Amino acid sequence: MDTFFEQFPIVFQALNVGFLQTLKLFAVTLLGALPLGLIISFGSMSKFKPLSAVVRVFVWIIRGTPLMLQLLIIYFFPGLVFNNPIWGGGEDGRFIASAVAFILNYACYFSEIYRGGIQGVPIGQQEAGQVLGLSKSQIFFKITLLQMIKRIVPPMSNEIITLVKDTSLARIIALQEVIWAGQAFMKGSQGISGAIWPLFFTGVYYLIFSGILSLLFSYVEKKLSYFKA
Amino acid sequence: MAILEVKDIRKSFDNTEVLKGIDFTLEEGQVLTIIGSSGSGKTTLLRCLNSLEFADKGQIIVDGNVIFDGENTKRLSESELRNNRLHFGLVFQSFNLFPQYSVLENITLAPKLLNKGTKEEIEKEALELLESVGLSEKKDNYPCELSGGQQQRVAIARALAMKPRILCFDEPTSALDPELTGEVLKVIRSLADKRMTMIIVTHEMTFAHDVSDKLIFMDNGVIAEEGGPDILENPSSDRLKAFLTSF
Repeated sequence: MDTFFEQFPIVFQALNVGFLQTLKLFAVTLLGALPLGLIISFGSMSKFKPLSAVVRVFVWIIRGTPLMLQLLIIYFFPGLVFNNPIWGGGEDGRFIASAVAFILNYACYFSEIYRGGIQGVPIGQQEAGQVLGLSKSQIFFKITLLQMIKRIVPPMSNEIITLVKDTSLARIIALQEVIWAGQAFMKGSQGISGAIWPLFFTGVYYLIFSGILSLLFSYVEKKLSYFKA
Repeated sequence: MAILEVKDIRKSFDNTEVLKGIDFTLEEGQVLTIIGSSGSGKTTLLRCLNSLEFADKGQIIVDGNVIFDGENTKRLSESELRNNRLHFGLVFQSFNLFPQYSVLENITLAPKLLNKGTKEEIEKEALELLESVGLSEKKDNYPCELSGGQQQRVAIARALAMKPRILCFDEPTSALDPELTGEVLKVIRSLADKRMTMIIVTHEMTFAHDVSDKLIFMDNGVIAEEGGPDILENPSSDRLKAFLTSF
C-alpha cells in the first residue's frame, strides 16, 4: 500500500477512533474539573485557616509540577509501590488513570480562575443581597455566579483550549488517543509504515475542534455582554 | 414606644475604636440625619444597624425586641440574622444594583426569593414603587443604561420592596454629580412626607436641615451634639461650629 489514496481511508478510520478517545478525555475532564475546581476554590478561600492552607499547598504542587509527571505517578504508583495496580493494564484502565490526573490538574487551574472571578465581584453586591435578607446560597447562585461567569469566560476559554491539546499528554501512558493513532503509522500499523503525514493530519483534528470551541466562547461572551460587571 | 433604641454601641477594628458608645432613640415616622466628617463612625454605625458589622458591645432594640446584644456571645443563626436584617433597609453610596438584572428584576428579586407574595402581586408592587421614584419607563432597562441618579432611585425602590421598618441611607448622593443629587433627594423627601422612618447619613446640609426631625453630629466615634434641625443654625459645641464652617 503505497499511494496516499490507498492509505487515506485506513488512516482516517484509525484517527477517528483515536480522536474519539481524545474527545472522551476532554469531556470527562471538563465534567469533573469544572465542579471540583469550584469546590477547591471555596477551600482556598475558606476562613478556616488550616483548610485553606492545605488546599493552597495542594494547588501549588499540582500547578507547580508537569502534568506528564502527574500522569506517570498516578498510573504507575499504585502498582509499583503497593503492588496493587488498581487501574489495570487495559485501555479502560489507562483512560481512568488519565481522567483522574487530568481532572485533578485542571480543577486546580480552574479553581484559581474561579477564585479570581469570585473575588472580582465587588463586595457591595454581596452586601446588597444581605441587606435584602437573602441567604448565602441565594446570594451566590442568584447574584454572584453570573457576574463571576462573565468575568471568567476569557481565561476559561484559554484554559479549555489548552486542555484540547494537553489530552495528547496521555500518550505517555499509551492511551490510544489521536496522536498515538497517528504515530502508529510511522512504526507500521495495518500495513502502513514510515508514513509521517498521518501525524501531520492529527493537527487538523485539533485545529477544527479548537476552532469550534473558540466560536462557542465568543458566542457566550457576546451573550453576556448585555450587562456590565 | 420608640421604633429604635440604640444603647452604648461600641465597635473596634483591630485596635482602633471607631464607635465609642453611641446612644439614641428614634420614633416611628421620624427622620434622623447623621452628619460628621469622614472617619467619624457614621457608616460603621449604619452597618452595625444592618448587621453587616457586629458591635463589640451595646444593644439594638427594634419595636421593643432586642435584635442585637453585645453581652450575648452566642452567634446568631443565619435565619435569625436574616430576620434582623429585614427590619432595616440600606441604600448604599455606590448603589450596588445587580448588573445582570433589569430594573424591575432588581426590585422583585428579593421579594420573589423570600416568597413575599405571588409573582403578580410582587410585580404590581414593584411597578408602583418604580412609579413613585419616577422611573416606570425604565423598568426593562439594565443598570448600566441608567444615570447614577436613576440607579440610586432604583436602589431606593429595591430597598422599599422589602418593606423595612427603618430605611437607612449611607451618603446616597456622594457618588453623584451635583445635577443628579436633586432627583435623589426629592425621592427621599417624598418618603419623609409619607412618614417613612429613616436614618440618613449625608453631607447635604441644606437637605439635612429641611428633612430631619432629629440630627446627630458624630465626631471621632461619639455623638458630639444632637437635637432638632436648629442645631445647624445655632450649634452649641465648638466641634460642630468648626464642622459647619467647612461648608
